[in-house]
This record gives sequence, structure tokens and C-alpha cells, in this order.
Amino acid sequence: MSDTLVEFRQVVKRFDDFVAVKSLNLSIAEGEFVALMGPSGCGKTTTLRMLAGLEKPTSGEIILNGRVMNDVSASERDTPMVWQSLALFPFLNARENVEFGLKMKGVDAPERRKRAIHWLERLDMGEFIERPVNQLSGGQRQRVALARSLVIEPKILLLDEPLSALDAHLVIRMQGVLSKLQKELGITFVYVTHSQSEAFAMADRVVIMGNGDVAQVGTSREIYRSPANKFVAQFVGRNNILGGSVSSIDGDLALFDTECGQFALRIPEGKTFQLGQLINISIAADRLRLQQHSDSAPKNKPMDTGTNQVDCTLISEEFVGAVVTLFFETKDGTELMVQVQERELDQLKVSQDTLYTLSWAADSAHLLSD
Amino acid sequence: MSQTDTAIRKSKSSQRLYALTWRLPIIVWQVLFFVGPLLFLIAMSFFLVKNYRMHEAFEMVNWQKMFSRDYFRDSYFFTLGLAIGATVLCSVIAFPAAFALSFKVSANTRRWALFFLIIPFFTSYLVRTFSWYVILAESGVVNSLLQFIGLGPFTMLNTVFGTMVGYLTLTLPLVIVLQTFSMSQIDKSYIEAAYNLGCGRIRTITSVIIPLAKTGLVIGAVFCFILAFGDFVSPYYLGGSKPPTLSILIIDTTKSGQQWPRAAVVAIVMMLTLFTVAFASIAYAYRKRQR
Amino acid sequence: MNSERISSWILKGYLVLIFLFVFAPIIASVVFSFNSQRFPTIPLGSFSLEWYEKIFNDADIWTAARTSVIVAICTSILSTCIGFATAYTDYRYQFRFKGVFLALALLPPTVPLIILALAMLAWFSKIGISGQISSIIFAHTVLCTPFAMAIIRLRLSQMDENLEAAAWNLGASQWATMRTVIIPFTRPAIIASLCLTAAVSFDEFAVAWFVSGLNKTIPVVILEIVQGNIDPQVNAIGTLVFVISMTLVIIAQVLIMTSQKRDSIN
Repeated sequence: MSDTLVEFRQVVKRFDDFVAVKSLNLSIAEGEFVALMGPSGCGKTTTLRMLAGLEKPTSGEIILNGRVMNDVSASERDTPMVWQSLALFPFLNARENVEFGLKMKGVDAPERRKRAIHWLERLDMGEFIERPVNQLSGGQRQRVALARSLVIEPKILLLDEPLSALDAHLVIRMQGVLSKLQKELGITFVYVTHSQSEAFAMADRVVIMGNGDVAQVGTSREIYRSPANKFVAQFVGRNNILGGSVSSIDGDLALFDTECGQFALRIPEGKTFQLGQLINISIAADRLRLQQHSDSAPKNKPMDTGTNQVDCTLISEEFVGAVVTLFFETKDGTELMVQVQERELDQLKVSQDTLYTLSWAADSAHLLSD
Repeated sequence: MSQTDTAIRKSKSSQRLYALTWRLPIIVWQVLFFVGPLLFLIAMSFFLVKNYRMHEAFEMVNWQKMFSRDYFRDSYFFTLGLAIGATVLCSVIAFPAAFALSFKVSANTRRWALFFLIIPFFTSYLVRTFSWYVILAESGVVNSLLQFIGLGPFTMLNTVFGTMVGYLTLTLPLVIVLQTFSMSQIDKSYIEAAYNLGCGRIRTITSVIIPLAKTGLVIGAVFCFILAFGDFVSPYYLGGSKPPTLSILIIDTTKSGQQWPRAAVVAIVMMLTLFTVAFASIAYAYRKRQR
Repeated sequence: MNSERISSWILKGYLVLIFLFVFAPIIASVVFSFNSQRFPTIPLGSFSLEWYEKIFNDADIWTAARTSVIVAICTSILSTCIGFATAYTDYRYQFRFKGVFLALALLPPTVPLIILALAMLAWFSKIGISGQISSIIFAHTVLCTPFAMAIIRLRLSQMDENLEAAAWNLGASQWATMRTVIIPFTRPAIIASLCLTAAVSFDEFAVAWFVSGLNKTIPVVILEIVQGNIDPQVNAIGTLVFVISMTLVIIAQVLIMTSQKRDSIN
């Protein structure tokens, strides 16, 4: 993209016995919207706090704008943060909250006021300038928190799960506000979240973290379609993960044995398999095709047809909007899920006592690295 | 390089200065005016008094004198008995009130009741005791009222009863507040579960509520003991100082005769007793809870 | 179910009795202070301001009142400052021997006043600061600081844990954060602490009696009057003392309660 703004070089953070971040290497470009995503305790918030100077790395270097920041105190960094709890000053009104950073920089009162009002108005808070913050709604307080951070005109904005306390409909709205703002301002956003819908919707690049390590870095699409490993595939969800050992190889197809049957996989370019090698694959839930089992159909040979099939029964359904996730179980107890559009469901007439056949193409399965 | 080094050193020392600013005042103050006096009290118990003047020395004479006096031993057990009596009485009287405040009234009523119980704890105990003196006197309010229904007069001043009324004035509000704090935090579902399992009302109190509120009950009792054991106003004005309690003994020994070292012996014996009781009770309260 | 109702009413009645017992001496003292009888009993005598006139014309009481007010004001300021510093240290820092540090701060209320009184009297004589108004202030500050600390610590625990970091994050130094965030946030507790510690100091008699020398405070005067004889003056002084200390305690409690409520909307 453009110049590097932030760089983590082998950054380690230890709290007593607990390793929160293990040797993190990551660079973030100017004007980039990066999301750090992972389950709680994965080290994403610690990473953000180290960038803000609120935690000191145990080892390694954090470079911001070409300067090693390890010993620079939080108050000298210009890395404003939007907090999960918002951390607005409850004894100040909206404008005074926004003015806070300018006041600390020694900007004089009239100028402070002008700039604070400008930012509040820009974020549609013009009516609430003198309102005490405890009389504002959740979404309004969110905007005050944003204005408070942006008024000091930083090159980078840190956001720590800023939308997690909001109602679902407000989350979508604020996502729009944030994306638009980031594009207009052209500054770097580093956004910590555990929600993939937030991360995938807004970020240019998503960093998935687990147990203090980076599990994968990529665009939303890359992570969704080609998860690097089992952890990412599971965390992103809606992925069926199958493990087995390679039993035969024919051209660019490999056959591998799992507990629920033999399946074919197209060998990715540049990979070579040995017989007996253990592999894991993932198949996105929307890549599985569902049909009723028919005894008359000929037995499928994956290596010939390039299509895999497995018989199973329905165990439960989950509706999210127009998408339905169906959960199936094979004879040996392996669970598989299939995503279909709600309107397709009527044609299928699914019921719990019918036997179904799931099928997928050998090249829609994706090889995981572990 | 060296420039950043000094900048870092400066910021580190400013961090340290900031931390010390908040940490030091209490240390300095308490060493000068709390730990200092208490250590000096211990030292003083070995000093000598000659011609009404204290001489710094290291002699066991004060300890030997005090421990060989019957009145000291009598006074010790009398004070201990009074304090234990007050603790039991106060805990027992406070319990139903705290129970009612925890389970029988609304949260709002409870808040206001605690509000009003905290007020007397911080308002002149001395004047309140004097007020009891007038109320309980031979021809005071209580006896006049009793006369209407043909009873009395009863002698209530200069008795253990009088002392107890005074102790309760001092301790009851605090003990009710502490008991209510611990009892109102009990999850109501435990109590419902106990009823549900056919536990009677009294059994629910003895086998569910009291064990769960134990820490608060014990801490309340410990504070009651400390206050009663150290108080001199009630046993003096309402109890008639017959025999004197340890605190009255300290006052008498200090104020008349300038025998500060002997008063120090009494004070140290009191402190040792209090610490033993407090540590034992609190250890007991927490040990049982962890099981 | 019916027995449940009955027991509930019995307990509520019991609660009323307890409150009567707790407030009886306060109410009696106020009533007696306006009563003409030298030895008040039932039926009451006539309404009279005699005892108030007597104390208002008593120069010793005015002097004692002045001493009490000076001591209470100085003590409340000192103990609130020290209590604030200690509460903030406990809130913000982890360090070795923190247990000892906290014990040092919180132990004074567990030592009987009469023992502290004797120890302080002896120690103050030893280091040559006994018998002055300042000796009462030093002693009372020891007694009051734990209360100040408790009130302010409670307030700090209600603070968003990121509030301080949010100020640093916006460029405020530690000192600026203290001035612009911590102190404004804890202000209700600071005022409550000033009131409560003033009340404690204003009512304390044992230590003041021992260390004050000739500078008697109001409670010491009461103590000495009471030692002599029954004198209804005490009720009049007592009523004034009640009014002052109850006002202070009520202000303190209201401040603590309302600041808690206001944040809970947040």
C-alpha cells in the first residue's frame, strides 16, 4: 500500500508466568484499517495496549513512525484509543470531554472549543454539545469517544472492542460511521474485536490471533475462503474440518481416509503428499450440496468423479436471517454443517428421519497447514 | 542515544517521585504518631518512677507489681467478663434486627435504615451515655413510667445492667450494620432452596443463613468486643466503676499518681488480649468459610 | 403462610424497638435541654432556654468550642489528604509489603482509644509536643485517616478502570491526570471525608482529654462537667454537638450515596 507506520518486531509480553503475546511480528501501513481478531485471552488487547504505551513489551521493539517507542510514555505517543468501556470522563460534558486532549497539549480555550464543536458536529452530535455524558445514549457516547480521540488529529486511532456494548442495530450503523470516517481521514485504524462480522465488514486486513500468536493475516476473503490452519477455520466458523491420512495419489488428486469415509482432495500447487501423511482439510459450509439419499444411485468413486459424498442424518437447524445452517451427523458421529438459503429449504423439505447425502467437489476443499 | 537515555531516566525518576508522593505520607505519619507511641508504650512499661518523675530504665518492677496485685487480676477478669457479655448480648440482640433488615424489608428501606444506624455511630457517645444516666436514674424517666403501672423503682445505675446499656449504645448500631452487610449479600436462592428441601424456618437460619453470614457475624462480634473491652465511659458513669475496669484503671493510674509505667503495663495486657481474641476469631471465621 | 406474615410483623416491630433504643438518648438529650427541671423526669417541666443561656454566657465553653473547631478543621484536612494519598496508592499500585502498608493505615480504629491516649500522651511528652492544640490535631489525624481512606477508596473502586489510562492516552501526564481526572472524580468522597473526619474529631474525648493539657475541646469539657455532677448544661451542649456532628455525617452519607447513584446511570 504505502509507507509502514507501525511495526512490531519480535514483541513478547509476559505477565508473571502467563505469556500474553509470543514473538509478534506485524507491520501496519499508513492509512490502513487493520482488525486484530481472536477469542478472549488471545493477546489482541495486550497488543493494542502495548502500542498505546499502557503496557511495556517484555522484549522486542515497537516502532511507530520510524521511532522505537518502548520507553516512550503513554502520554507522549499520540495514539488515542477508543475504549470498550468508552472511559468518558463522567464529570465533564460532551464538549469538555472532547477538549480534554487539546487542553493537555496546551491549546488555548477558544481554539479548543472551536475544534471540539467542529468534531462533535461532524459526528452528528451538534445538538448535544453541552450535555453531561451520563445523559447521552450509548450511540451518542460512542460518538463523543470518537470525537475525543480524533480531535487531536492523530495519524493512528486505536479501537478496543468499541461496539461491543451497543445494540445490534446500532453496531451496523456505527460500522458505517467508522468505515466512512477512516476513508475520509485516511488515517490508520487498529481495531481489536472478537466479532468477525465487524472485522470482515470494515478492515482492509484482518490479523487473527490465538494464544498470543498470529494465526493468519489476510483480507477478509482470504481468511474466509482459505483459512491457514485448523484454529482459524474453527474460529471463523461455518467450516467443516476433516482429518485423515493420505491413502493413494493419482495425478493431482489425493485420496485420504477419515473416520466417515474416503475423500478426494485436489493437491494444491507446489505441495507434495506422501502416502500415510496426516492432513486436515476444511470445507466451507456453503460449499456442501445437500440432496436426499437414493439407494438406486451408483456408488460414488471420488477419484473418478472428483466429487465426494457422505450419508448423514439431520440433527438440528439454526436460522440467521435468510441463511439457514443445518447440522448433520454421519454414521460414525462426525458432525457436518451445511449452509443454504432459506428459500431453498422449502424445496428440500428436510426432516429428521430422512437419510441425506452431502457432496462436495474435490477442489472446493481447502488444505489446512496443521 | 545518551539524550534519550537521560530522558528515559528522567521519566523513570518522575514516575518514582509520583508514586512516593502518595505512598509516603501515611508511612511517615503513622510511624511518628501511631507506631512511635505504641512502641514507646512498651518501652515505658519498663521505666521507673521516682519522686513523681519518670526515669528511663529497663526494670521488670512494674510488671511484677501489677501482676502481684489482686485488684489487677480481678479487674482483668471483670473487664473480660463484661466485654464477653456485651459481645454475646449485642450479637444476639442485633441478629433479629439485621435479619429483618436483610430479608423482611425492601432494599430502599434497608438503605435508609443503614443510613440512620450509621449516624449515631459518629455522634457523641459521651453525651448519649450521659443521657442514659438521666433516663435510668432512680427518679428518672424509666422509673417514672414504671411507677404509672405500679412497678419499681428499680436501681439501674451503678449496676452491670447500666454498663450493658451503655455498651449497647456504643456497639449495637455498628454490629447491626456489619451483620446486615453480610446477611443481605446472601443469595436468596439458597434460602428458597432450603425451604424447598423442607428445611424449617429456624433450621434455615441456623444451618443456612448463619454459616453463610459467618464472617460478618464474627467481625461484628470482634468489633463489639474491642469497643466494649476498651471503653471507660459506660462502666464508669453507668456501672459505677465497682470494681474498676482495665480502662478506668489506666485513667486512675495515669491521672493520679503519675504512674504511667504501670498504666502502660495494663495497656499492653489489654492489647495482647485484644489481638489474641481478634486474630483467633478472624482466623476462625475465614477458615470455616474456605472449606 | 400466615405464621410467616406474623413473624414478619414481629420482626418489624422489633426493628422499631431497636431504633427507639438507639435514638432514645439522642432524643432525650434534646428534650431535656429545653426542660426547666434540674433533674429531668416525667412528667416534664416547662419549656426553658435557661441551659442554653448558661452555656452561651460561659467563656470556657466558647474557648473550648474555638479549640474544637480548629482541631476539627485541621484534622479533617490533614486526614483527608493522607487518606486520599493512601487510598490512591492502594488503588493504583501493587508492591511488596502492601499488606503491612495497609495494616499500618487501617489499624488505629482497632486499638482502644484509652490505650492510644496513654501512648500518645507519653510519646508526645517525650518528644516535647504535648499539651498543645497541635498535639490533639496530630492524634486525631491518626484516628481519622482510616475513615478518610475507606471513603475515598470506595469511590475509587467505582471509577472506570480505564479512566486514568484514557487521560494518559490523550496526552495528560501523571500529575495532570491526578489534577484533571482523579481529584474531580473523587470530589464527592473528598468532601464526604472532610465532613466525616471533622465529626469524628469533634466528638472524640478520650485522646483529647489525655493530650490536650489546658486546651480543652468541647467533649473534654463535657467529660469534666459530667464527672462533677448532674448538670443539664450537658444536654444543651450535647444537643448542639449532636446537631453539628449529625449534619456532618448526613452530608457525608448523602454525598456518598448520590455520587454512587449518578454514576450507575453511566
